[in-house]
Amino acid sequence: MSEAAVALPRVRSSNPAWNFLRLIPGVLLLAAIGYAGKLLEQNVGKYAKAHHWTFPNIEYVLWAILLGLLISNVIGLPQIFRAGVATYEFWLKAGIVLLGARFLLGDVLKLGSVSLALVAIEILGAIAFMTFLGRAFGLRPKLTSLLAVGSAVCGVSAIIATKGAIDADDEDSGFAIAAILALGALALFTFPLIGHVLHLSDHAYGLWSGLAVDNTAEAAAAGALYSDAAGKLAVLAKTTRNAMIGFVVLAYAIYWASRGQAQAVGNKAAFLWQKFPKFVLGFLLISVLATYQFFNKEQVGALANLSRWAFLLTFAGVGLRTNFREMRKQGLRPFAVGAIGEVVIAGFTLALVYGAQRFYHW
Amino acid sequence: MSQNTASPDAVESRWKLSLDSWAVLFALLAALLIRVGVLKHIPW
Repeated sequence: MSEAAVALPRVRSSNPAWNFLRLIPGVLLLAAIGYAGKLLEQNVGKYAKAHHWTFPNIEYVLWAILLGLLISNVIGLPQIFRAGVATYEFWLKAGIVLLGARFLLGDVLKLGSVSLALVAIEILGAIAFMTFLGRAFGLRPKLTSLLAVGSAVCGVSAIIATKGAIDADDEDSGFAIAAILALGALALFTFPLIGHVLHLSDHAYGLWSGLAVDNTAEAAAAGALYSDAAGKLAVLAKTTRNAMIGFVVLAYAIYWASRGQAQAVGNKAAFLWQKFPKFVLGFLLISVLATYQFFNKEQVGALANLSRWAFLLTFAGVGLRTNFREMRKQGLRPFAVGAIGEVVIAGFTLALVYGAQRFYHW
Repeated sequence: MSQNTASPDAVESRWKLSLDSWAVLFALLAALLIRVGVLKHIPW
Protein backbone atom coordinates (compact mmCIF):
# COMPACT_ATOMS: atom_id res chain seq x y z
CA MET A 1 0.00 0.00 0.00
CA SER A 2 1.33 3.43 -0.75
CA GLU A 3 0.87 5.34 2.46
CA ALA A 4 -0.42 8.84 2.03
CA ALA A 5 1.29 10.76 4.72
CA VAL A 6 4.29 9.43 6.61
CA ALA A 7 5.15 6.00 5.23
CA LEU A 8 4.33 3.96 8.31
CA PRO A 9 5.77 0.47 7.86
CA ARG A 10 3.72 -2.71 7.49
CA VAL A 11 6.66 -5.07 6.90
CA ARG A 12 7.01 -7.65 9.67
CA SER A 13 9.91 -9.87 10.55
CA SER A 14 9.35 -13.55 11.31
CA ASN A 15 10.76 -13.02 14.81
CA PRO A 16 7.88 -12.02 17.17
CA ALA A 17 10.25 -10.69 19.86
CA TRP A 18 11.89 -8.34 17.32
CA ASN A 19 8.47 -7.28 16.00
CA PHE A 20 7.51 -6.32 19.55
CA LEU A 21 10.81 -4.63 20.47
CA ARG A 22 10.87 -2.42 17.38
CA LEU A 23 7.52 -0.91 18.43
CA ILE A 24 8.91 0.42 21.70
CA PRO A 25 10.72 3.63 20.50
CA GLY A 26 7.67 4.84 18.55
CA VAL A 27 5.21 4.02 21.36
CA LEU A 28 7.46 5.89 23.81
CA LEU A 29 7.50 8.84 21.39
CA LEU A 30 3.68 8.80 21.20
CA ALA A 31 3.51 8.72 25.01
CA ALA A 32 6.11 11.50 25.38
CA ILE A 33 4.33 13.79 22.88
CA GLY A 34 0.91 13.05 24.39
CA TYR A 35 2.18 13.72 27.91
CA ALA A 36 3.96 16.89 26.77
CA GLY A 37 0.61 18.02 25.31
CA LYS A 38 -1.05 17.39 28.66
CA LEU A 39 1.66 19.30 30.54
CA LEU A 40 1.45 22.19 28.07
CA GLU A 41 -2.32 22.41 28.56
CA GLN A 42 -1.87 22.59 32.33
CA ASN A 43 1.10 24.95 32.44
CA VAL A 44 0.82 27.36 29.51
CA GLY A 45 -2.52 28.70 30.79
CA LYS A 46 -1.12 29.10 34.32
CA TYR A 47 2.02 30.84 33.04
CA ALA A 48 0.02 33.20 30.83
CA LYS A 49 -2.33 34.04 33.72
CA ALA A 50 0.59 34.65 36.10
CA HIS A 51 2.10 37.08 33.58
CA HIS A 52 -1.28 38.71 32.77
CA TRP A 53 -1.18 37.61 29.14
CA THR A 54 -4.29 36.96 27.08
CA PHE A 55 -3.85 33.41 25.81
CA PRO A 56 -6.60 31.01 24.67
CA ASN A 57 -7.01 27.78 26.63
CA ILE A 58 -5.59 25.17 24.27
CA GLU A 59 -6.63 21.58 25.03
CA TYR A 60 -4.06 18.76 25.29
CA VAL A 61 -5.56 17.26 22.12
CA LEU A 62 -4.46 20.23 20.01
CA TRP A 63 -1.05 20.48 21.72
CA ALA A 64 -0.38 16.77 21.05
CA ILE A 65 -1.42 17.10 17.39
CA LEU A 66 0.61 20.31 16.92
CA LEU A 67 3.74 18.79 18.49
CA GLY A 68 3.33 15.72 16.25
CA LEU A 69 2.84 17.89 13.14
CA LEU A 70 5.91 19.93 14.05
CA ILE A 71 8.14 16.86 14.38
CA SER A 72 6.79 15.18 11.24
CA ASN A 73 6.93 18.26 9.00
CA VAL A 74 10.00 20.12 10.31
CA ILE A 75 12.39 17.45 11.57
CA GLY A 76 10.89 14.37 9.91
CA LEU A 77 10.10 11.09 11.62
CA PRO A 78 13.26 8.93 11.97
CA GLN A 79 12.93 5.33 10.81
CA ILE A 80 13.40 3.90 14.32
CA PHE A 81 10.11 5.45 15.50
CA ARG A 82 7.92 4.54 12.51
CA ALA A 83 6.81 1.02 13.53
CA GLY A 84 5.76 2.22 16.99
CA VAL A 85 4.03 5.35 15.70
CA ALA A 86 1.95 3.12 13.39
CA THR A 87 0.37 1.63 16.57
CA TYR A 88 -1.69 4.83 17.01
CA GLU A 89 -4.61 3.01 15.39
CA PHE A 90 -4.33 0.20 17.95
CA TRP A 91 -4.57 2.77 20.79
CA LEU A 92 -7.51 4.43 19.07
CA LYS A 93 -9.47 1.18 18.91
CA ALA A 94 -8.54 0.11 22.46
CA GLY A 95 -9.58 3.61 23.64
CA ILE A 96 -12.96 3.30 21.90
CA VAL A 97 -13.61 -0.12 23.52
CA LEU A 98 -12.74 1.31 26.97
CA LEU A 99 -14.91 4.38 26.29
CA GLY A 100 -17.87 1.97 26.31
CA ALA A 101 -17.72 2.16 30.14
CA ARG A 102 -18.92 5.79 29.94
CA PHE A 103 -22.02 4.88 27.92
CA LEU A 104 -24.95 3.05 29.46
CA LEU A 105 -26.61 0.69 26.99
CA GLY A 106 -29.79 2.81 26.91
CA ASP A 107 -27.77 5.85 25.78
CA VAL A 108 -25.99 3.79 23.15
CA LEU A 109 -29.27 2.43 21.77
CA LYS A 110 -30.97 5.84 21.84
CA LEU A 111 -28.09 7.82 20.36
CA GLY A 112 -27.05 4.89 18.19
CA SER A 113 -30.50 4.67 16.60
CA VAL A 114 -30.56 8.43 15.87
CA SER A 115 -26.99 8.17 14.58
CA LEU A 116 -27.90 5.11 12.53
CA ALA A 117 -30.70 6.96 10.74
CA LEU A 118 -28.43 9.96 10.08
CA VAL A 119 -25.55 7.67 9.09
CA ALA A 120 -27.76 5.87 6.54
CA ILE A 121 -28.75 9.20 4.96
CA GLU A 122 -25.13 10.45 5.08
CA ILE A 123 -23.75 7.27 3.46
CA LEU A 124 -26.24 7.27 0.59
CA GLY A 125 -25.86 11.02 0.01
CA ALA A 126 -22.04 10.91 0.16
CA ILE A 127 -21.72 7.93 -2.20
CA ALA A 128 -24.11 9.49 -4.73
CA PHE A 129 -22.41 12.90 -4.61
CA MET A 130 -18.81 11.63 -4.69
CA THR A 131 -19.64 9.30 -7.61
CA PHE A 132 -21.15 12.21 -9.53
CA LEU A 133 -18.16 14.44 -8.68
CA GLY A 134 -15.58 11.78 -9.63
CA ARG A 135 -17.25 11.32 -13.02
CA ALA A 136 -17.53 15.09 -13.55
CA PHE A 137 -13.77 15.50 -12.88
CA GLY A 138 -12.90 12.49 -15.05
CA LEU A 139 -11.23 10.48 -12.25
CA ARG A 140 -10.54 6.77 -12.80
CA PRO A 141 -13.71 4.79 -11.86
CA LYS A 142 -12.02 2.73 -9.11
CA LEU A 143 -10.45 5.87 -7.61
CA THR A 144 -13.94 7.39 -7.59
CA SER A 145 -15.25 4.27 -5.79
CA LEU A 146 -12.46 4.51 -3.19
CA LEU A 147 -13.09 8.22 -2.58
CA ALA A 148 -16.84 7.59 -2.31
CA VAL A 149 -16.36 4.79 0.26
CA GLY A 150 -13.72 6.79 2.17
CA SER A 151 -15.94 9.84 2.50
CA ALA A 152 -19.17 7.90 3.10
CA VAL A 153 -18.03 5.37 5.69
CA CYS A 154 -14.82 5.49 7.59
CA GLY A 155 -11.81 6.90 5.90
CA VAL A 156 -8.60 4.94 5.65
CA SER A 157 -9.91 1.58 6.97
CA ALA A 158 -12.77 1.63 4.47
CA ILE A 159 -10.44 2.51 1.60
CA ILE A 160 -8.05 -0.33 2.51
CA ALA A 161 -10.95 -2.80 2.85
CA THR A 162 -12.45 -1.69 -0.48
CA LYS A 163 -9.09 -1.71 -2.25
CA GLY A 164 -8.75 -5.45 -1.54
CA ALA A 165 -12.37 -6.19 -2.42
CA ILE A 166 -12.44 -4.39 -5.81
CA ASP A 167 -8.79 -5.06 -6.83
CA ALA A 168 -7.98 -1.33 -7.03
CA ASP A 169 -4.44 -0.10 -7.78
CA ASP A 170 -2.01 0.91 -5.03
CA GLU A 171 -1.77 4.31 -6.69
CA ASP A 172 -5.54 4.85 -6.55
CA SER A 173 -5.74 3.88 -2.89
CA GLY A 174 -2.76 6.16 -2.16
CA PHE A 175 -4.58 9.09 -3.80
CA ALA A 176 -7.80 8.37 -1.93
CA ILE A 177 -6.06 7.94 1.45
CA ALA A 178 -4.05 11.14 0.93
CA ALA A 179 -7.22 13.11 0.11
CA ILE A 180 -9.12 11.75 3.13
CA LEU A 181 -6.19 12.36 5.53
CA ALA A 182 -5.49 15.88 4.24
CA LEU A 183 -9.14 16.84 4.61
CA GLY A 184 -9.29 15.19 8.04
CA ALA A 185 -6.29 17.31 9.12
CA LEU A 186 -8.08 20.44 7.86
CA ALA A 187 -11.24 19.43 9.75
CA LEU A 188 -9.27 19.43 13.01
CA PHE A 189 -8.77 23.17 12.69
CA THR A 190 -11.97 24.24 10.91
CA PHE A 191 -14.69 22.16 12.63
CA PRO A 192 -14.20 23.53 16.19
CA LEU A 193 -14.18 27.09 14.77
CA ILE A 194 -17.41 26.51 12.84
CA GLY A 195 -18.97 24.83 15.89
CA HIS A 196 -18.15 27.84 18.09
CA VAL A 197 -19.31 30.37 15.47
CA LEU A 198 -22.65 28.54 15.13
CA HIS A 199 -22.91 28.02 18.94
CA LEU A 200 -23.52 24.30 18.45
CA SER A 201 -24.31 22.28 21.58
CA ASP A 202 -21.81 19.57 22.57
CA HIS A 203 -24.35 17.00 21.44
CA ALA A 204 -24.95 18.51 18.00
CA TYR A 205 -21.27 19.25 17.40
CA GLY A 206 -20.16 15.76 18.48
CA LEU A 207 -22.72 14.13 16.21
CA TRP A 208 -21.70 16.39 13.33
CA SER A 209 -17.98 15.55 13.76
CA GLY A 210 -18.76 11.84 13.86
CA LEU A 211 -20.85 12.11 10.69
CA ALA A 212 -18.69 14.45 8.64
CA VAL A 213 -15.05 13.72 9.55
CA ASP A 214 -14.00 10.59 7.71
CA ASN A 215 -11.09 9.04 9.55
CA THR A 216 -11.89 7.74 13.05
CA ALA A 217 -8.80 9.24 14.72
CA GLU A 218 -9.52 12.70 13.27
CA ALA A 219 -13.24 12.43 14.11
CA ALA A 220 -12.39 11.60 17.75
CA ALA A 221 -9.83 14.43 17.85
CA ALA A 222 -12.17 16.99 16.22
CA GLY A 223 -14.84 16.10 18.81
CA ALA A 224 -12.43 16.22 21.77
CA LEU A 225 -11.11 19.61 20.62
CA TYR A 226 -14.61 21.04 21.24
CA SER A 227 -15.33 19.36 24.60
CA ASP A 228 -15.11 16.04 26.40
CA ALA A 229 -18.85 15.42 25.89
CA ALA A 230 -18.60 16.28 22.18
CA GLY A 231 -15.64 13.89 21.88
CA LYS A 232 -17.72 11.04 23.38
CA LEU A 233 -20.56 11.67 20.92
CA ALA A 234 -18.23 12.02 17.96
CA VAL A 235 -16.78 8.59 18.76
CA LEU A 236 -20.26 7.07 19.13
CA ALA A 237 -21.50 8.50 15.81
CA LYS A 238 -18.28 7.49 14.05
CA THR A 239 -18.47 3.97 15.54
CA THR A 240 -22.02 3.64 14.19
CA ARG A 241 -20.67 4.70 10.79
CA ASN A 242 -17.79 2.22 11.04
CA ALA A 243 -20.28 -0.59 11.70
CA MET A 244 -21.61 -0.06 8.16
CA ILE A 245 -18.25 -0.70 6.49
CA GLY A 246 -18.92 -4.37 5.64
CA PHE A 247 -22.20 -3.65 3.85
CA VAL A 248 -20.82 -0.81 1.73
CA VAL A 249 -17.64 -2.71 0.80
CA LEU A 250 -19.73 -5.79 -0.06
CA ALA A 251 -21.97 -3.70 -2.33
CA TYR A 252 -18.92 -2.29 -4.15
CA ALA A 253 -17.29 -5.74 -4.41
CA ILE A 254 -20.45 -7.16 -6.00
CA TYR A 255 -20.72 -4.16 -8.35
CA TRP A 256 -17.11 -4.47 -9.61
CA ALA A 257 -17.31 -8.28 -9.78
CA SER A 258 -20.47 -7.98 -11.93
CA ARG A 259 -18.40 -5.87 -14.35
CA GLY A 260 -15.68 -8.54 -14.40
CA GLN A 261 -13.14 -6.22 -12.75
CA ALA A 262 -12.93 -7.85 -9.29
CA GLN A 263 -13.12 -11.34 -7.82
CA ALA A 264 -16.64 -12.60 -7.09
CA VAL A 265 -17.65 -12.70 -3.42
CA GLY A 266 -18.28 -16.29 -2.29
CA ASN A 267 -19.68 -16.45 1.24
CA LYS A 268 -21.31 -13.06 1.89
CA ALA A 269 -21.79 -13.62 5.65
CA ALA A 270 -18.10 -14.51 6.05
CA PHE A 271 -17.18 -11.44 3.95
CA LEU A 272 -19.27 -9.18 6.22
CA TRP A 273 -17.73 -10.69 9.37
CA GLN A 274 -14.23 -10.30 7.96
CA LYS A 275 -14.79 -6.61 7.17
CA PHE A 276 -16.79 -5.81 10.32
CA PRO A 277 -14.77 -3.65 12.76
CA LYS A 278 -14.48 -5.86 15.85
CA PHE A 279 -13.87 -2.93 18.20
CA VAL A 280 -17.55 -2.00 17.77
CA LEU A 281 -18.42 -5.31 19.47
CA GLY A 282 -15.86 -4.64 22.22
CA PHE A 283 -17.36 -1.17 22.79
CA LEU A 284 -20.86 -2.66 23.08
CA LEU A 285 -19.65 -5.43 25.45
CA ILE A 286 -18.02 -2.93 27.85
CA SER A 287 -21.14 -0.74 27.63
CA VAL A 288 -23.38 -3.74 28.54
CA LEU A 289 -21.07 -4.64 31.47
CA ALA A 290 -21.15 -1.01 32.73
CA THR A 291 -24.96 -0.91 32.37
CA TYR A 292 -25.35 -4.04 34.54
CA GLN A 293 -22.92 -2.58 37.13
CA PHE A 294 -20.21 -5.14 36.57
CA PHE A 295 -17.85 -2.25 37.39
CA ASN A 296 -18.26 0.03 40.43
CA LYS A 297 -18.05 3.81 40.17
CA GLU A 298 -14.29 3.94 40.83
CA GLN A 299 -13.64 1.21 38.27
CA VAL A 300 -15.69 3.08 35.64
CA GLY A 301 -13.54 6.15 36.41
CA ALA A 302 -10.37 4.08 35.99
CA LEU A 303 -11.61 2.66 32.65
CA ALA A 304 -12.52 6.16 31.43
CA ASN A 305 -9.04 7.45 32.38
CA LEU A 306 -7.36 4.53 30.64
CA SER A 307 -9.43 5.36 27.55
CA ARG A 308 -8.18 9.00 27.75
CA TRP A 309 -4.56 7.80 27.88
CA ALA A 310 -5.13 5.59 24.84
CA PHE A 311 -6.63 8.57 22.97
CA LEU A 312 -3.68 10.73 24.03
CA LEU A 313 -1.34 8.36 22.18
CA THR A 314 -3.72 8.38 19.20
CA PHE A 315 -3.76 12.17 18.95
CA ALA A 316 0.04 12.30 19.06
CA GLY A 317 0.02 9.73 16.23
CA VAL A 318 -2.42 11.82 14.15
CA GLY A 319 0.09 14.68 14.16
CA LEU A 320 3.14 12.47 13.59
CA ARG A 321 1.76 10.61 10.61
CA THR A 322 0.57 13.78 8.82
CA ASN A 323 3.21 15.02 6.40
CA PHE A 324 2.02 17.80 4.11
CA ARG A 325 4.99 17.46 1.74
CA GLU A 326 4.14 13.80 1.06
CA MET A 327 0.48 14.70 0.57
CA ARG A 328 1.28 17.37 -2.02
CA LYS A 329 3.07 14.74 -4.14
CA GLN A 330 -0.18 12.83 -4.65
CA GLY A 331 -1.64 15.24 -7.22
CA LEU A 332 -4.33 17.89 -7.23
CA ARG A 333 -7.44 16.38 -8.83
CA PRO A 334 -8.27 13.76 -6.16
CA PHE A 335 -7.82 16.52 -3.55
CA ALA A 336 -10.13 18.83 -5.50
CA VAL A 337 -12.81 16.11 -5.72
CA GLY A 338 -12.26 15.20 -2.05
CA ALA A 339 -12.34 18.82 -0.92
CA ILE A 340 -15.50 19.75 -2.85
CA GLY A 341 -17.17 16.52 -1.72
CA GLU A 342 -16.17 17.01 1.92
CA VAL A 343 -17.39 20.61 2.03
CA VAL A 344 -20.76 19.58 0.56
CA ILE A 345 -21.02 16.55 2.89
CA ALA A 346 -20.05 18.70 5.91
CA GLY A 347 -22.80 21.21 5.00
CA PHE A 348 -25.31 18.42 4.34
CA THR A 349 -24.58 16.64 7.65
CA LEU A 350 -24.68 19.96 9.52
CA ALA A 351 -28.19 20.49 8.14
CA LEU A 352 -29.12 16.92 9.20
CA VAL A 353 -27.82 17.49 12.73
CA TYR A 354 -29.67 20.83 12.98
CA GLY A 355 -32.86 19.07 11.93
CA ALA A 356 -32.33 16.26 14.46
CA GLN A 357 -31.47 18.80 17.19
CA ARG A 358 -34.77 20.61 16.65
CA PHE A 359 -36.75 17.37 16.47
CA TYR A 360 -35.19 15.78 19.58
CA HIS A 361 -34.75 19.07 21.53
CA TRP A 362 -31.05 18.43 22.36
CA MET B 1 -2.57 -34.31 -3.64
CA SER B 2 -5.50 -33.26 -1.57
CA GLN B 3 -7.17 -30.06 -2.69
CA ASN B 4 -7.72 -29.06 0.93
CA THR B 5 -4.02 -28.78 1.69
CA ALA B 6 -3.45 -25.24 2.90
CA SER B 7 -0.15 -23.44 2.46
CA PRO B 8 1.80 -22.65 5.66
CA ASP B 9 1.10 -18.95 5.06
CA ALA B 10 -2.63 -19.62 4.80
CA VAL B 11 -2.59 -21.66 8.02
CA GLU B 12 -0.63 -18.90 9.78
CA SER B 13 -2.95 -16.14 8.54
CA ARG B 14 -5.98 -18.12 9.67
CA TRP B 15 -4.68 -17.89 13.25
CA LYS B 16 -3.37 -14.34 12.99
CA LEU B 17 -5.57 -11.80 14.76
CA SER B 18 -6.42 -8.46 13.16
CA LEU B 19 -5.36 -5.17 14.74
CA ASP B 20 -9.01 -4.68 15.75
CA SER B 21 -9.12 -7.98 17.58
CA TRP B 22 -5.84 -7.29 19.41
CA ALA B 23 -7.15 -3.88 20.49
CA VAL B 24 -10.36 -5.48 21.80
CA LEU B 25 -8.41 -8.18 23.68
CA PHE B 26 -6.06 -5.57 25.17
CA ALA B 27 -8.98 -3.39 26.31
CA LEU B 28 -10.92 -6.35 27.75
CA LEU B 29 -7.83 -7.57 29.61
CA ALA B 30 -7.29 -4.08 31.05
CA ALA B 31 -10.99 -3.94 32.07
CA LEU B 32 -10.64 -7.35 33.77
CA LEU B 33 -7.51 -6.25 35.65
CA ILE B 34 -9.36 -3.15 36.85
CA ARG B 35 -12.40 -5.27 37.82
CA VAL B 36 -10.40 -7.75 39.91
CA GLY B 37 -8.43 -4.95 41.56
CA VAL B 38 -4.98 -5.55 40.05
CA LEU B 39 -5.14 -2.04 38.53
CA LYS B 40 -6.78 0.08 41.22
CA HIS B 41 -6.33 3.69 40.29
CA ILE B 42 -5.60 5.16 36.87
CA PRO B 43 -4.77 8.85 37.31
CA TRP B 44 -5.50 11.51 34.70
